[in-house]
Amino acid sequence: MTMAMSEAHLVDLVINWVRSNHRPGNSPNGDISSDTDLIASGMLDSFGFIDLIVFIESRSGCRIDLTDVDPSEFCIVKGLCRITLRSQQN
Amino acid sequence: MQSTEPLVATVPPVQHGEQFVRRTDSQQRSTRPVLAVATRTKHRGLIQGFLESAERFASRDALVVDNTSLTYRELRDRAAAIAKTILDQEPDLLPLAAMLASRSATAYASVLGILGAGKGYVPLNPKFPVDRTRKMLLLSGCRVLVVGGEALGHLPRLLPEIDCSLTVIMPDCGDAAELRAAFPRHRFVSSGQMSQGEGLALDTEVDSSAVAYLLFTSGSTGEPKGVPIHQSNVRSYIEYIKDRYEINEQDRISQQFDLTFDLSVHDMFVCWERGACLFCVPEKSVMLPAKFIRDRGLTMWFSVPSVAALISKMHLLQPGCFPSLRYSLFCGEPLPAIHAQHWQEAAPNSIVENLYGPTETTIAISHYRWDPVKSPRECLNGIVPIGRVFAGQQACIVDYERNQVSETGELFLAGSQVTDGYWNNPENTRRQFVRFPETGETSWYRTGDLVRRGKNGWLYYLGRIDQQVKIRGYRVELQEIETVLRKASGAEQVVVVPWPVALGSADGMVAFVSGVANTMDDQHILNHCRETLPGYMVPRSIYRVDEMPLNDNGKIDRKKLMELLGDA
Repeated sequence: MTMAMSEAHLVDLVINWVRSNHRPGNSPNGDISSDTDLIASGMLDSFGFIDLIVFIESRSGCRIDLTDVDPSEFCIVKGLCRITLRSQQN
Repeated sequence: MQSTEPLVATVPPVQHGEQFVRRTDSQQRSTRPVLAVATRTKHRGLIQGFLESAERFASRDALVVDNTSLTYRELRDRAAAIAKTILDQEPDLLPLAAMLASRSATAYASVLGILGAGKGYVPLNPKFPVDRTRKMLLLSGCRVLVVGGEALGHLPRLLPEIDCSLTVIMPDCGDAAELRAAFPRHRFVSSGQMSQGEGLALDTEVDSSAVAYLLFTSGSTGEPKGVPIHQSNVRSYIEYIKDRYEINEQDRISQQFDLTFDLSVHDMFVCWERGACLFCVPEKSVMLPAKFIRDRGLTMWFSVPSVAALISKMHLLQPGCFPSLRYSLFCGEPLPAIHAQHWQEAAPNSIVENLYGPTETTIAISHYRWDPVKSPRECLNGIVPIGRVFAGQQACIVDYERNQVSETGELFLAGSQVTDGYWNNPENTRRQFVRFPETGETSWYRTGDLVRRGKNGWLYYLGRIDQQVKIRGYRVELQEIETVLRKASGAEQVVVVPWPVALGSADGMVAFVSGVANTMDDQHILNHCRETLPGYMVPRSIYRVDEMPLNDNGKIDRKKLMELLGDA
């Protein structure tokens, strides 16, 4: 079942997940916001990102379509959330 | 029935010693400067293929990095400037020069420039903790360090504790005044002070026993272990691979391994040997390589199997989505059959191969070609075979009673690709490089890998006989992490186990400690690990136990600890 979410709700969900699941080798440099680049900041590595995607998919109930996404948008919290919401609508 | 868990030892380790005729110290060639070697033969150097391509294909692209392309001529000129600067500034006889850079245009030019100066290169990774980088730099004995713009910020922390005088060449830095003032012991060469490479003959026929590159792997004692690969070793590899894959100037080849990972040597030099173009996969695209492969029209892909797993989890491994690929190579960890199968469906025009080889045997030394029809039946426990060793290389299997056997045991390797010892480490060299009376002077490298030879002749990787694991393709000695944890926590006992493990590969590890003071905070311990170890070696969690479980032999029962995790 798909659960409709607002962008703000999704952003909160992602931020909370990252705060409690960032990898020990990838320590957060500073606080996280909707504009944070999760890779450039060192908060997540590529494998941590997959865990995040799996988490978002389980909570949103939709498969995130990453076929043609721009990696720069995808790595930023709100960009990732917007991609998720677009996938939810399709 | 064989173990399905390749990360847990299933037979006792082969004891070191008496049955092997060991070489004497005087025979440990790689532990001394190469110029001291008595018998020299001239050889086509690692860089030679690049230089020939730069003549033939001067205006073709050699490298695309950060959306900028460099032609062969441009890359050669950058490399020549670095080479000439090294020779002008430090015309010494030291065989190696180091580089601190990360997959930037300067990084690639530095590799070529160091080789062009007639030295072997020692890649250092700006992503690693500074302490570790300093240790590697000191162990290498280098007096020249080339630094990319992306790593300049590391110098103020790297240089203070280096007692010898370094020549630091900085092609991306216009002003070195501050560094000069702060570190008068070292010499700094900014971009404006670099020599002009024009006219420099980058034509290098080299001593075949000279070191082409020196890489460091995790060492069980807590010290990184230097693996020197000689010009003759890597030349053997390149010659074999370039013909096997029929690389040509139309090829577009991926480059997504860090330069401290020896698989990067394949990317660079197989590509440039034949005038092809190397595409550096940006850090962010490593997560979404599917789009990168499509957009760039890559013809050859090379990665660890974990990347295939990652693409698959992101639902991006769709049938037919990589039509441009003609070769897809995987190496560095066990390749699950399911990923090989899905990759083959995604890249229908591609040959899919599983490569295997420890760093000591130069990049890869065995291969298995995936066949969509036959291969699913030829896999063992869902893992693709590592196949057969390359033509001209040798493999034998030794059981734990120290006999050469035909079926299951530790894999020993020999041949022109196999190096002859560790860097300035005769003890490890004696332990790992041995001779058998029946094979005379042949030096065999003990891989520590447990394999089985099937009736079909294929070799199957079953696991390790020691505590080494692979984390996303990186080789990790668990004892090295345990040493760091012990120091950080003051624990009486420390055990690190790979976790979680799926389809033969570990994604990370966790630590168990006992006897740690209650006042000691886990975060404090992990912070110490972060300062000392690369990210992939930092445990995900620390579990405190009153006592470690013991097996029947009175040793710590690692399997039981892993079972505890399963219950968690």
